[in-house]
Amino acid sequence: MNSKVADRIATTIFYLIAATIVTVLVGLLGYIIFHGFSKLNLDFLTSPSSSFRAGGGIGNQLFNSFYILFLTMVFTVPLGLGGGIYMAEYARPGRLTNAIRTCIEVLASLPSIVIGMFGLLMFVNLTGWGYSILGGALALTVFNLPVMVRVCEDALRTVARDQKEASLALGITHWHTIKTVLLPAAFPSILTGAILASGRVFGEAAALLFTAGLTTPTLDFYNWNPFDSTSPLNIFRPAETLAVHIWAVNTQGLIPDVREVADGSSAVLIISVLIFNLLARWIGSVVHKKITASK
Amino acid sequence: MKTVMEPKQTNTRIAEQPRSENTEMKQAALDVKHLNIYYGENHAVKDVSFSIGKNAVTALIGPSGCGKSTFLRSINRMNDLIPGARSTGEIQYDDVNLIGDDINVVALRKEIGMVFQKPNPFPKSIYNNIVHALKFNGIRSKKKLDGIVEESLRKAALWDEVKDRLHESALSLSGGQQQRLCIARTLAMKPNILLLDEPASALDPISNAKIEDLIMELKKEYTIVIVTHNMHQASRISDKTAFFLNGVLVEFDKTDKIFTNPSKKDTEDYITGRFG
Repeated sequence: MNSKVADRIATTIFYLIAATIVTVLVGLLGYIIFHGFSKLNLDFLTSPSSSFRAGGGIGNQLFNSFYILFLTMVFTVPLGLGGGIYMAEYARPGRLTNAIRTCIEVLASLPSIVIGMFGLLMFVNLTGWGYSILGGALALTVFNLPVMVRVCEDALRTVARDQKEASLALGITHWHTIKTVLLPAAFPSILTGAILASGRVFGEAAALLFTAGLTTPTLDFYNWNPFDSTSPLNIFRPAETLAVHIWAVNTQGLIPDVREVADGSSAVLIISVLIFNLLARWIGSVVHKKITASK
Repeated sequence: MKTVMEPKQTNTRIAEQPRSENTEMKQAALDVKHLNIYYGENHAVKDVSFSIGKNAVTALIGPSGCGKSTFLRSINRMNDLIPGARSTGEIQYDDVNLIGDDINVVALRKEIGMVFQKPNPFPKSIYNNIVHALKFNGIRSKKKLDGIVEESLRKAALWDEVKDRLHESALSLSGGQQQRLCIARTLAMKPNILLLDEPASALDPISNAKIEDLIMELKKEYTIVIVTHNMHQASRISDKTAFFLNGVLVEFDKTDKIFTNPSKKDTEDYITGRFG
């Protein structure tokens, strides 16, 4: 076999692998969206779910998903940024740093159901909050934090070393250099990483089963007092998210239109995650252009 | 590490060491005594001693890996960034040993500025490249900042080329202009000594010539130490030349002497192009 033939065979194999990935993705997306498409209307997206009768929506679940995601990112971004800055700029090579790195990697590879059980012990039982949005958001923070630390660390490390040297050589302190030179340059990658992590958090179910719960109280969307028990903003109320809802109606749903609701919810979930991914790419490239390009 | 993290300095004292009362004008800007620099196990600079004169250009030449850049980077402590780098000996600057642990490197780097081989402007506007460090040092007045920007750009012979587009990105400048901007940015800090690490080697011949003219102009006010691979450049612009080989300072003398009548065989072999 000469090298030309070998090259052609190898190229074909790589094309096939790429085609497999695309086929699986397109097939999955197509199947879910095709089945859920009929449900994608304003009524389904905004009305509350029903326990027995057909025709319930996912309004509360959708709100819960975004609210928990928002809280999770409020906790994760500052912690992840701090951890990333420490790992990239201050940690000296040595045993302690290696130990921290191992911890981050182990935490990142923990199954989310284990994080859910940990959340049950910590944020539900120990704190006495019961199932709550806050508990769910904290469990997801544990789930998301190692990824965020990694994203921030990598983003800071890929900033060209000469930029850092330029700033330090002008007699600027390390911290000020991080703030004014490294972080702005790393911002597009950090933002992209955060949005991608959001997609992961948005679709997470296992960690929320035992922390945010499987129910949502009746919500009054005109009540914006966060301390009131019927307010959607109350962080101490239980909250079933969209991903949890899909699991719940499939395993213990009593409604006659389980299939339609599950299909519709799956389509909404997957489209949301898709939007997160596309948004990450788009915002990343826009910000990158804005920061580096001359005009 | 501790000193790197110190907050803003209110004065430019760079060390807690007592300064002697000796106020007579000294000819040496930097007095290097028995300097050794190690990267882990690698002994990069070996027992180097010589004096760098004030308001003169001192060129450091030698083949790649001979320790000249390492030496240059030890003067403003940029080697602190490299894990495992350590040094012994003395670099006396105004009766302060720059190698000491008590040096405030932030204040030191304001007095001893550095320009790197590859132009490294910040991805900001030309104006902001210069005021970046000034603002950090608490200069807020727009008028004052404008004044310093113009003054440093003029000194770096860049003002006429950029005065109408100060707020455009520095990355829109040519390589040679970027390098002069980096020099201007360093001059804005009003340093006493300029360290230039092969500042023209990444540039085309015309930009190179402009940088050389600029260095000749700047040496009236500043002490300049320049690392260069270009022998012609060293002979054109420097007053004194130090030849390094394998971490050892082989010969240090007036540039004329080094290039016409070197006293060491290795120096002669190097400048006549027999190796390196």
